[in-house]
Amino acid sequence: MLKYTIQRLLQLIPIFFVVAVVVFFLAHLTPGDPVTVLLGDEASAEAKAELRHELGFDLPLYTQFTQWISDVFRGDLGESFFLNQPVTEVFFNYLGPTISLAIYAQFIAIVLSLLFGVIAARRRGTVADQAVTGFSLLGISVPSFLVGLFLILLFAVQLQWFPVAGYQPLSEGLLEHIRYLTLPAIALGMMQAGLITRMTRSSMLDVMKTNYIKTAKSKGLRENKITYKHALRNAFIPILTVIGESFGTLITGAAVVETVFNIPGIGQLIVNSIERRDFTVIQGTVLLITVTYVLINLIVDLLYGAVDPRIRLNKKK
Amino acid sequence: MKKVLLTALLFLILTVLAACGGNEDSNSDGAETATDEANTDATLNVAYPTNLQTMDPHLTTNQSTRDVSRQIYEQLLTLNEQYEVVPSLAESYEVSEDGLTYTFDLREGVLFHNGEEMQAEDVVASMEKWMETSTQGMANLAGAEFIEVDTYTVELHIDEASLIIPYVLADTAPFPAIVPKESVESAGDTGLEEYIGTGPFQLEEWTADQHIHLTRFEDYESTDDDASGLAGKKEALVKDIYFNIVPDASTRVAGVTTGEYDIAVDIPLDNADQVESADDVNAFYSDGGISAFVYNNQSGPFSDIKLREAFNTAFNAEEAMTAAYSNDNFFELDPGLALPDQVNWHSTAGEEQYNQGDIEAATQLVEESDYNGEEITILSTRDYPDHYSLSIVAQEVLETIGVNTTLDIYDWPTVQEIRTEPENFDIFPMTFAVRPTLHQLPFLDSKAAYPGWSDSEEIDQLLEDITRQSSFEEAYPYVEELQQEVWNYLPVTKIGNQQELVAVSSDVDGYSDLIGPILWNVSKSE
Repeated sequence: MLKYTIQRLLQLIPIFFVVAVVVFFLAHLTPGDPVTVLLGDEASAEAKAELRHELGFDLPLYTQFTQWISDVFRGDLGESFFLNQPVTEVFFNYLGPTISLAIYAQFIAIVLSLLFGVIAARRRGTVADQAVTGFSLLGISVPSFLVGLFLILLFAVQLQWFPVAGYQPLSEGLLEHIRYLTLPAIALGMMQAGLITRMTRSSMLDVMKTNYIKTAKSKGLRENKITYKHALRNAFIPILTVIGESFGTLITGAAVVETVFNIPGIGQLIVNSIERRDFTVIQGTVLLITVTYVLINLIVDLLYGAVDPRIRLNKKK
Repeated sequence: MKKVLLTALLFLILTVLAACGGNEDSNSDGAETATDEANTDATLNVAYPTNLQTMDPHLTTNQSTRDVSRQIYEQLLTLNEQYEVVPSLAESYEVSEDGLTYTFDLREGVLFHNGEEMQAEDVVASMEKWMETSTQGMANLAGAEFIEVDTYTVELHIDEASLIIPYVLADTAPFPAIVPKESVESAGDTGLEEYIGTGPFQLEEWTADQHIHLTRFEDYESTDDDASGLAGKKEALVKDIYFNIVPDASTRVAGVTTGEYDIAVDIPLDNADQVESADDVNAFYSDGGISAFVYNNQSGPFSDIKLREAFNTAFNAEEAMTAAYSNDNFFELDPGLALPDQVNWHSTAGEEQYNQGDIEAATQLVEESDYNGEEITILSTRDYPDHYSLSIVAQEVLETIGVNTTLDIYDWPTVQEIRTEPENFDIFPMTFAVRPTLHQLPFLDSKAAYPGWSDSEEIDQLLEDITRQSSFEEAYPYVEELQQEVWNYLPVTKIGNQQELVAVSSDVDGYSDLIGPILWNVSKSE
């Protein structure tokens, strides 16, 4: 297990380097000038050139890249000249809301999908199964911003149960924190719920056909015990994979929901940084997201062994 | 599974409790009426669409910096609601007979937010920084010098007399904010690093991408003159102001409807009916500036005046403005480069060349031009829906008169960069904020080298002639001549004057706007 973990962590280095090269040149070769964004549309060419020089943006691209990459390997991701803060500090400031949102959305998604997926598998071909299939199709197909706007209209504007937008950190109280995150978490969790429900249903159906389930039934075990203790646990490996991947997506890809609900998370940081062409933040954030994504996948891989004792990573057969 | 369900149930209960908790707040906010008394401890929540890139008003022409900074900082001179220049931090000012020396008597007892009194040395340091770093300072005050005469008197020495100097000093973006000398000294490459002004509100907290929190400056020293535009009496009638950064327009509208925000800025005009019909919300319309198509005068087919004339002749401004701004309540057809309220600068000269919609004559002009069927590139963005709508109209007009077109759509920062190279576009739509003088419209003076690269000796000369006059009465014939010359040379085709919509809660009283929101003298009832 330890060797496997170290191997996976070492694999990060080439991935990290390739991502660094791609994101640096993608950011710098895409048209758009941070100096124009800072100085405004009507700033003179003279003023822009002066600031560009002061910030080192007039240096050749390869010089800028070598400076940046050598700093990165020394652990310095640079500083945002818009925010006047180190990129790592900026990233971790924005990570809190995203993690809260992702956990809440994932929680909603897992509860709904396990419940619905199991019901659909147990009652295959019935109206309940069709309703669950419809729900998961809807979750996957309807864009999260549309779900978000619908939720705002119903629960914030009409019923006024929840705020329209915004974010309150946990330090302001758990109830306030939940109140602000509920609608975005539902909007974000719906798609994941759709995906996980489908996987739960199909994985459960596969397991329910296996001989040991038939044996359990013939031994007269209770239906619920068979479903939850024997079938669901064995069906959980593919479900766990989808949950792991979707959690990675929730952490890194909530930009649209964060924008609609005005949550200062990583997604919004990336969107804002791209809009203002804040190169160091774009580059640093993408690198840190890469690390996060790889680590989440690693954790999921390590969890396989915990869920299914038959899987032992790196164990010689 | 049971545990999961139990946890879920517990969570559901928590969520319902949270929702109920919030409901009380929103109901109490929503129940307020304008007839209630103003609450001096109130918090004004403003939903604002764009992030601030800097809080240094010297540095940028960005609207977001302008709108927030004006609550914090003040300048020597400012604009009243007739767009006239009046003293602000200056008690008064005098111009020498030769027009080369401006003497500013400063108001005494004006305190910065750090408690220090504003004195001449602060003014000199601030104005020098502004002249060095701002577009307006560099363009209009090159070689000028501010000198401290005594603690409360400063002089501006310029090389050439210019009628527009007071207007430049009263400009709103980049505006010459007066800050402590120490703030100037500690400023870095990207501008001020401490944000201390003399305005009615002081900066409490700036959380990037989230909100800017301002609080009332208790020691604010106001003038007793009647409030007018950006000038006169200023009172901080609320204790706190939050500029909440809310990029999504539908969220801003929904937020002001539920009472979560008191003021929502930059509401799309398509939502005007929704705002007007909402309970407890009022629609506030303000001058949004002018819309125009900017031609590439330097190279490509539009460098031929005949083709510019063809497009201008074919163009129906009314149809285009309707496409971009919903209906005629939200725009004004006007050939002037300045707004009608800007009495010293507005002219209708050249109106016969405006809004013609004459396709036949335009087609004839295309034939007379050097146009050879090449593709015209219209550069635009979807980030600003009005720009995009205007581009679609331009494409239809050009195709109708036999000109081939292609529409290049990018995000706004890309457009800003792409259009710096003449080979990248032929025409683009643009909206320009209201500027105190015509000289500050970037597309006229060839020296400004604004994308489009207007290069008319006549226009340059007339701009200079205006500055050399000793009064606006003397200057006005030149203003009219300039406007006519603009219609002859066509650096741009003016389309119209558009309005901006701000949604204001009925709890809020006294909201006004002059080239951006004014939040002093604004109260909120409880």
